[in-house]
Amino acid sequence: MAQSYSVTLEDSGLFQSFSGSKMTTLPPLPMTRPKLMDLARQKLPCSSGPIPSSQLIKEKEDIDHYVEVNFKGLSKEEVAAYRNSYMKNICVDMLRDGYHKSFTELFGLMKQWETLRVAARRRSIFWLQKPLEDQPDKLDYFYYHLTRAEAAERKGYFEEVYNNLYALACFFDNAEDKWVRNHFYERCFQIAQLIKIDGGRKEAEAHAHMGLFYEEEGQLLEAAEHYEAFHQLTQGRIWKDETDRFLNLWACESLLRTYRLLSDKMLENKEYKQAIKILIKASEIAKEGNNKKMEGEALYYLGLAHLAAEEQDTAMAVLNAYSKISTDLNDDLSLGRAYEAIAKVLQSQGQMTEAIQYLKKVVNLTKNNFQSLDVVKASTMLGDIYNEKGHYNKASEYFQQAFDTTIELMNLSLLDETKVHYGIAKAHRMMLTMNNYIETADLTSLNHLLSWKERRSDIDLDLVVGVSRGSATENMAQNSEHLEELTRSPDNQKKETE
Amino acid sequence: MNVIYPLAVPKGRRLCCEVCEAPAERVCPACTVTYYCGVVHQRADWRSIHEKICQLLIPLRTTMPFYNSEEERQHGLQQLQQRQKHLIEFCYTVAQKYLFERKYAEAVPAALHSLRFRRSVYGLSSVELVPAYLLLSEASLGLGRIVQAEEYLSQAQWTVLKSTDCQNATHSLLHRNLGLLYMAKKNYEEARYHLANDIYFSSCAFGTEDIRTSGGYFHLANIFYGLQKLDLADTLYTKVSEIWHKYLNDHYQVLSQARVEQADLLHKRFVNDTGLDEAQEAEAIQILTSILNIRESTSDKAPEKTIFVLKTLVMLHYLMMNSSKAEEYAMQALNLAKKLQLSENEQNNIEELLSLISTEEDHPIT
Repeated sequence: MAQSYSVTLEDSGLFQSFSGSKMTTLPPLPMTRPKLMDLARQKLPCSSGPIPSSQLIKEKEDIDHYVEVNFKGLSKEEVAAYRNSYMKNICVDMLRDGYHKSFTELFGLMKQWETLRVAARRRSIFWLQKPLEDQPDKLDYFYYHLTRAEAAERKGYFEEVYNNLYALACFFDNAEDKWVRNHFYERCFQIAQLIKIDGGRKEAEAHAHMGLFYEEEGQLLEAAEHYEAFHQLTQGRIWKDETDRFLNLWACESLLRTYRLLSDKMLENKEYKQAIKILIKASEIAKEGNNKKMEGEALYYLGLAHLAAEEQDTAMAVLNAYSKISTDLNDDLSLGRAYEAIAKVLQSQGQMTEAIQYLKKVVNLTKNNFQSLDVVKASTMLGDIYNEKGHYNKASEYFQQAFDTTIELMNLSLLDETKVHYGIAKAHRMMLTMNNYIETADLTSLNHLLSWKERRSDIDLDLVVGVSRGSATENMAQNSEHLEELTRSPDNQKKETE
Repeated sequence: MNVIYPLAVPKGRRLCCEVCEAPAERVCPACTVTYYCGVVHQRADWRSIHEKICQLLIPLRTTMPFYNSEEERQHGLQQLQQRQKHLIEFCYTVAQKYLFERKYAEAVPAALHSLRFRRSVYGLSSVELVPAYLLLSEASLGLGRIVQAEEYLSQAQWTVLKSTDCQNATHSLLHRNLGLLYMAKKNYEEARYHLANDIYFSSCAFGTEDIRTSGGYFHLANIFYGLQKLDLADTLYTKVSEIWHKYLNDHYQVLSQARVEQADLLHKRFVNDTGLDEAQEAEAIQILTSILNIRESTSDKAPEKTIFVLKTLVMLHYLMMNSSKAEEYAMQALNLAKKLQLSENEQNNIEELLSLISTEEDHPIT
C-alpha cells in the first residue's frame, strides 16, 4: 500500500514550499518509514540565524507536515489508503494525474464484470470468482499499462498504445478473464487501424486476434472476414511472429479452419451450394499457401461436401487429386482417408467391386500404421458392402476383425456398435440354413434346432434342403425374432469368453 | 408599518433577523412572519429569495390551525412536512442557480434558508444538512471568505464521516467543494486529490458519462489549465464537451423526431425541453461558455473543437428557448465553418439548426 503513494508524494508541490523551514524549535526525530525518508531529504535545514518563535509553525499545514514526517501517526493520505479499497486508490491515482480515459475504461470493465456476474446467476463459476477489484496485482497491471497507453495516445504514438494494450490482453489470456482479453483485443484492433507506419503489420496481427476471438465465440462469419483481411495483408510479406512462424502461414491455417467450420455448419443445414463455394475458396487459398498438406486437406473436405451434395463425379475428381497429393507426400494416413472417401463415393454410385478394392487397400494401410479407429471404420464399411451383396461369410469375417480391434481400443460405444454388426452378419449366415430347417420340420432338423438353442454355437451349414416358399411371412417373423436372439447371442458368447 | 419594537414583543420571545440572527427591528409587511434587523438585510433577502417564498413561509411560521380529529391533525402535520420539504428543495435550487451565475452574495440567504429548514426537518447532525453546508461554503469561497468556507466544509466533512449511510452523490459533492476550496487556497495537489475522489464517487453514483460527473472533470481541467499542462486540460475539456453534446443531442433528436411525426390532436407544437432543472441549466451554461472562451483563445490550432462547443451551446440555448443567443452562436459557428471550409455535412448541420431557430422565432409557441 505504501509504495503506491511514493510516486505521487514525490512530485507533490506541497513540500517544496518549506524551503525556508521554520521547524528548528522542535527536536528532529528519527525516521521510521521508508517513503517519508524522501520527504525528509527534501526538507532543507534552516540556516539563517535564530527565528523568533512567533513566526514558526504559524499555519495548520506546517503542523500537518511536521506530524506527518516525524510522528508515528498516519497522514491523511495513509488514512485514505487504509480506509478505501485498493480499487478506489488506483482510480483516484489515475484521475489525479489526469488519466481520465484509463479511469473510464477500468470503471467500465468493473461494471461489465458486475453485469456479467448478475446475468450468470448463482451456481455458475462467475459467482465464485473474486471480483477484479479484489485482485490487487491485476489492478496494478491495469494501472501501469493503461496510464502508459493514454500518455502515448496523447502524444500520438499509436504503436506504444498498441503494445501496452496487447500486453494487457496477453496478461488476461487465462480461462476466467477471457472477456477482459476480448475487450482488449477489440481495443487493439481499433488502435491498429490507426497505425500506418509499419505497413499494416500491427493491423494484420489485430485482425488475427479478432478472428480468434470470434472463432471462440462461434461467430464464424465475422471470424472469416477478419482472417481474410489478415491473409490479404500478410500476402507476400515475410513477417514472422514471436514463435518464428510465418504470419502468412498462420493466416492460411486459420482461414482454412474457419471455412471448414462454416461449411460444417452449412452442411448440417443442407446448404450445399454455399458450403461448396466456401470450400473451393479454401482450397484456392491453400494452393496459394504453397503448403501441400493444407491443400490436400482442403481438397478432402471439398470432396466430402460434394459427396454430401451428391455430385459424385466432381467428388471423384477432387478426391483423386487428394490421393495424388498424399502419395506425393508419402502420407499414409491421408492416403487412407482419401481411399476411404473414394470408396464411399463408389458405393453411392453403385460400383461395389471397385469400392471393395479401395477399402481393402485402406485396411492394409491402416493396419500397417496401427490406426485402429480407421481399421475399424474401414472393416465395418467393407462388411457392410459384403452384407448388401449377400456374401455373408466375408461380411462376418470383416466385422469380426472390426470387433477385435475395438476390444483393443476399449471404446465402449464403438464396441457396442461393432458387436451389433457382427451379430447381424452371423445371423445372416445362419439365416438360410435356419430357414431350411424350419421349413422341413422333420426330426433331424428339429434336433439340430434344439441343440442349437441349447448350445448356441455355430450350426452346420451343409444341409441345404429344397426351399419351399409356403409360409413366407411366418418365416420372416421367425427370422426377425431369431435375428434378435442372435444379436444377443454374441453378447453371451463373448461374455463367456471374456 | 415595517418597524417593530423588540420591547413590545411578548416576554421570552426573541425575534431574530433572518440573515444575521441579530435582534429584529423590522418585519416584512407582505407575510408578517419574517423579521430583519435592518433595511439592508431586508432588501438583500427580498432580492435573493424572499420574493419567491414570501407567502409560502406563512403556514410554516404560524401556529397550526385547530383540527377537530386526530386524522385531520395528522394530515395537517404531513402537509406541513411536505411544505417544508418543498421549500428545502426550492431554496436549494435557487441558491445553486445563483452560484452558477456567480451571484454569490444573493446565494447566501437562499442557502441559509435551505439549511434552516433542513435542520428543522431532519435534525442537527443528519447527512441531509451536508448539501446546504456545501452550498454555503461555495458561496463563501466565491465571496473570498476562505476561512468561513473551510469551517462549513469541515462541518460537512465531519457529518459525512459520522454518518453510516451517506450516498455516493453526497460524497462526490463534498469532494468537489473540497477541491474548489483547495483551488482557492492554491493547494493544487490536494485539490486534484479531492476532485479525483469526486469523479470516482459520481461515476459510482451516476456513471462516467453523466452530466453530473462532467462538473468534476471541468474543475480538474481548470486546475491543469492553471498549471499550464495544456494537453491534459485539453483532453478533459474535450471530454466535458462530449458529455454535454451527447446529452443535448439526444434531447434534440427526440424533439426533431417528434416534430416530424407531427403534433397531437390540438396541433400544439412540442415544447422545447432540456430535462434539466434551472440550476443544472445554469451549470451547463457556465461550463460550456468557459470552455468556449478557452477554446477561442487557442482556436487557431484546433478549430473543429471550437465549432463543436459552439454547436453544443446552440443546442442548449435552443432547448432552453433562448432563441436570440442560440442564433448568435449558430451564426458564429457557421462563419467559422465557412472560413475553414469544413465538410458539407458539418455546414449543413449548422444551417439546419439555424433555420430551425429562425422558424421558432417567427412562430413562437402558443
